[in-house]
Amino acid sequence: MNCNKAMVLMSAAIDGELTPKEEEELVSHLAECPECRAEFQDAKNTKIIIRERIVRVQAPKTLLESIVRMTTVSS
Amino acid sequence: MKDKKQLLSPQEELKQKEFQQEAVAHINALYNYALHLTMNPDDAEDLVQETYLKAYKFFNSFERGTNCKAWLFKILKNNYINKFRKNAREPGKVDYDLIKDFYHTIKDVQSDTTEAESDFFHSLLHEEVYQALQSLPEEFREVIQLCDIEGFTYEEIANMVESPIGTVRSRLYRGRKLLRAKLEDYAKKRGYDTDSGE
Repeated sequence: MNCNKAMVLMSAAIDGELTPKEEEELVSHLAECPECRAEFQDAKNTKIIIRERIVRVQAPKTLLESIVRMTTVSS
Repeated sequence: MKDKKQLLSPQEELKQKEFQQEAVAHINALYNYALHLTMNPDDAEDLVQETYLKAYKFFNSFERGTNCKAWLFKILKNNYINKFRKNAREPGKVDYDLIKDFYHTIKDVQSDTTEAESDFFHSLLHEEVYQALQSLPEEFREVIQLCDIEGFTYEEIANMVESPIGTVRSRLYRGRKLLRAKLEDYAKKRGYDTDSGE
């Protein structure tokens, strides 16, 4: 496997979406390629940053109440 | 006085109960997704409300055992397209004033909830992460949001965006590459170790 292919696979590897064969190929490439190992770590960090740093809010209570009401009285 | 519930058939009663447990449980995720799509709390509320009404109406067609959250997201996305597509901004363009306004509005929304306010200010510090994400072309931003924030599988995302799994995979790869370039300084400043793969 060359580095270009490894980079394409890294993104899916982070999400646990590789086939076993692809995973095996990537692991053996990473074992022998320090540049790709660093790249892999960067890619993982990006996912962590997005997951941790994007603002999440609770839905307004009034919205929840109105949905519960609307889906309980209609029959 | 007769209880309204007694007027319902047992099937309808079961449907209501199941809907509350399966679907309403995802309201926060749906609301956040709607906020990020519309950037307006009122529009987001309307969108979520319409989504739930439609979902309830067609709840019998929801395939039991599959991901209800993914099913709801798809309904919301379709609603959004039908309702707002005409006014959608051009992919790849980002209005930073709009994002700033959005964060201020979120602050107001947040203060109505029980979440700790400090969480919000903590998030504000990371406005640049949000800007970086928003600056991506829509096709990339969407899959990153669905995968990294909402935790959907590639199969679920493919179904939602109506594209093959291979396309989802490639959009994630390309989108993340763009995002990484934008967040490189951020990652260094915030101490995300970029050398631990060595």
